[in-house]
Amino acid sequence: MTERFAEATGTAVVGGTERHAAQSLRSLLIPVLAIGAVLALVPLWLGDSRVLMTVAILGLAFAGYTIGFNLIFGSTGQLFLCVGALAGIGGYGTAIFADTVGLPIPVAILIATVAASLVGGLLSWIAVRRSLGVIFTGIVTLIFALAFENLLLGMGELTGGESGFLIESGRDGLLAGRTSAYFIMLGVVLVFLIVHGLLRRSHVGWAFRALRDDEVAAELAGVDVSRYRVYAALVGSAMLGMAGGIYAMSQGRVSPTTYAFSEVDVVVVVMLAFGGIGSLYGPILGAATFTVINEFLVDFGHLRLVPYGALIIILFLWIPRGVIPTVGDMMRRRRGPRP
Amino acid sequence: MTAIILDGIVLGLQFGLLAAGFTLVYGLGGVLNLAFGQMAVLSAMAVLFSMDAGVPVPAAVAIGLVTGGLLGLIFDQTILRPIYRRQGEARVLLSLLLTLGVAFMVDGFLNWRYPTAALSLQISGGPIDLIGVPMRRGSIVGSVIILIVFGLLFAFFRGTSLGRAVRSVIEDEEGSRLVGIDPALMLRIILIFSGILAAVVAVTQSMIRPVTVTAGFPITVFALIVTVVGGLGSVTGALLAGLILGVISTLATTYIGTFLSLIILLVAAAVTILIRPSGLLGVKE
Amino acid sequence: MLEVNGLAAGYQGNDVVHDITFRVGEGEAVMIIGSNGAGKTTLFRSMFGLSRPSKGTVAFDGEDVTGMPAQRVVRKGLRFVPAERHLFPRMTVHENLSLGAYPKRPDPETLSIVFDLFPRLAERRRQHAGTMSGGEQQMLAVGRALMSQPRLLVLDEPTTGLAPKLAHEAYEALAVLRGQGLTLLVAEQQVPLAMAFTDRGYVLENGVISLEGTSQELAADPRVRSAYLGVT
Repeated sequence: MTERFAEATGTAVVGGTERHAAQSLRSLLIPVLAIGAVLALVPLWLGDSRVLMTVAILGLAFAGYTIGFNLIFGSTGQLFLCVGALAGIGGYGTAIFADTVGLPIPVAILIATVAASLVGGLLSWIAVRRSLGVIFTGIVTLIFALAFENLLLGMGELTGGESGFLIESGRDGLLAGRTSAYFIMLGVVLVFLIVHGLLRRSHVGWAFRALRDDEVAAELAGVDVSRYRVYAALVGSAMLGMAGGIYAMSQGRVSPTTYAFSEVDVVVVVMLAFGGIGSLYGPILGAATFTVINEFLVDFGHLRLVPYGALIIILFLWIPRGVIPTVGDMMRRRRGPRP
Repeated sequence: MTAIILDGIVLGLQFGLLAAGFTLVYGLGGVLNLAFGQMAVLSAMAVLFSMDAGVPVPAAVAIGLVTGGLLGLIFDQTILRPIYRRQGEARVLLSLLLTLGVAFMVDGFLNWRYPTAALSLQISGGPIDLIGVPMRRGSIVGSVIILIVFGLLFAFFRGTSLGRAVRSVIEDEEGSRLVGIDPALMLRIILIFSGILAAVVAVTQSMIRPVTVTAGFPITVFALIVTVVGGLGSVTGALLAGLILGVISTLATTYIGTFLSLIILLVAAAVTILIRPSGLLGVKE
Repeated sequence: MLEVNGLAAGYQGNDVVHDITFRVGEGEAVMIIGSNGAGKTTLFRSMFGLSRPSKGTVAFDGEDVTGMPAQRVVRKGLRFVPAERHLFPRMTVHENLSLGAYPKRPDPETLSIVFDLFPRLAERRRQHAGTMSGGEQQMLAVGRALMSQPRLLVLDEPTTGLAPKLAHEAYEALAVLRGQGLTLLVAEQQVPLAMAFTDRGYVLENGVISLEGTSQELAADPRVRSAYLGVT
């Protein structure tokens, strides 16, 4: 259900009248297409360097991950510390279904996306059923992430263990070429933005905001908190899986480090915290910023973790709401109180 | 089989002490110290550098323990100040994030600057026979040290008024304030303890296998797993859970494999959270 | 001994109690009565450092203790037993009592006085506080407070959940202590009992003090009688 919803570009299936839906669509499509237009220029600039284009594709993948995480954590407050693992289900799932099982690539990606979505939804459902608070949800999902990493390492027969999996399928496909892979990834990310934007504007988004601000009040107002949490997890995890799967195919290989906690989750949290937890376009800003920063730091090896660590501290101490909301606040204050 | 179980107990004692250091801070202050593993590694580095500078081993170990305690104190005075200003869930969440940031900074720096550094304390002498099983001398010495430390901890918490005061903060923070106990002071004491315990684990572990700079996050993960199973704020629970998980882990590693053995531990922690969140002996919310 | 002036307190900027002014003199037993939600607990918590008042002052023995955290206030010679008691559940009766004397070692004489007042506690010395009944826990909470030999004892609803016989016993024990010089401040919903054992009282209604007087005066006051004594 969520899969088809994402593919059905932009039509608000949930809530609202038809006209309302059309208005929402316009105010959403314009910024999104603007972002798309700007990002579409990147290949013009970097197109010659295969290395830099790969970095750009990775940046888009992270944008996708961050949007998914934003939907799960930013919208419904579920601290999923298994972003990498869910993306890994998408990535490894696609690789295995395409190569080992022999399915066509789009089908493999689809199945892997559904798998990631279901796992994320299951985690959310468990957390809801057991009334796990934010911390325990974080710990349980962290446990899942670590277990997944070890599963990848341990089931070498299926996954290639530590050295990873070289993907044979799609070597001549669309996702192999740098530019085509970039545009496919960009399209997917834009779709994610639209999906998230539409959700926010619909009654689903209203429910999200209500339950995030005051869960008890939301329940009293008739919001089925559990259901919306699981919805958010299903959609967000689908995004993670899809981004992970497409990225895997564009790279032609996957390894445990591709989706490890220290490689993905940490970075995604920083990207989202920087851009703005819960803000729609925050993930794009965060992903763009840190992809660029990471490129400058790539020669420093382990030392890269130092600024990331420092940033986590600085961000959560002083700019906990992220750049976009904070800037928005500052601008609102400058404009002065409304008459 | 006996040999494996004994090895499991040796490992379990280490797990237990790790968890003790971790759970005291979590149970008393509501702080998740994800930089705990790095505290252990830094203490190990202090011992290593001292030994390299020619300091005799016992003194170097002492320096390591002092380093651990100091790190705990520094933590309390710096990174934990903003965390103390929050309460409850907000505090745990912020502590998780800030200590994670510190952990990354320390880990990144150490791995970049001293990638090959490893502490290894050789205990001279041949294997010691324990109920028919030859055990490496380092394992025995390390385990005995840990048992002594646990004994000291129990004596402190049960037998001294300061120890009871600390326990009371874990039991009921408001209640402890009502009898004139300052929770912030108790937390500072516990953080120093926690640092020293991390150092002890690093030192005793190095008697069995080298402790490298990459050991930081694995140590924290193990501490977290055993703490979750043992229960918040319970040193007894930490020991119990440590021993159980140590034996299970060793059995699993021998008969199934390293990665799957770790998965079993992780699953044990997850199951505990889902079925009995307060752990084996923790305070029931 | 205790002077409260113009105190206001509440949660997150909203005051629940306003402009509270009252006194407790040395050796007196004073009650504050009011129905559920009148603000008694909020008042006491803000007076004794479990939360901060938004306005006003609190002075104990002439010293300003406004906003002072609980652990420092109680060291001045008073003890506050809140409605939730805040006992240490996994510690024994003996350990709970010993901690009452913190930072000093528990005085054997004081301990035996407490056990005389509450024989049930003596029977259960080694029992964990969390496994005891409500009445026993209440006794333990008071006993713990007494271990530091306070000069002022403040009790928030000490008889909630207690069977009438136990409630009476508790107050009789307090009367004994009064005879030995203890000053008492009690917040109560069980008004008739409090009236019998106190000298003066204040009525707290909707966050303000609406009446004050000696306990006898209040007992005779028609408004008090209808609201709290069930007399029409």
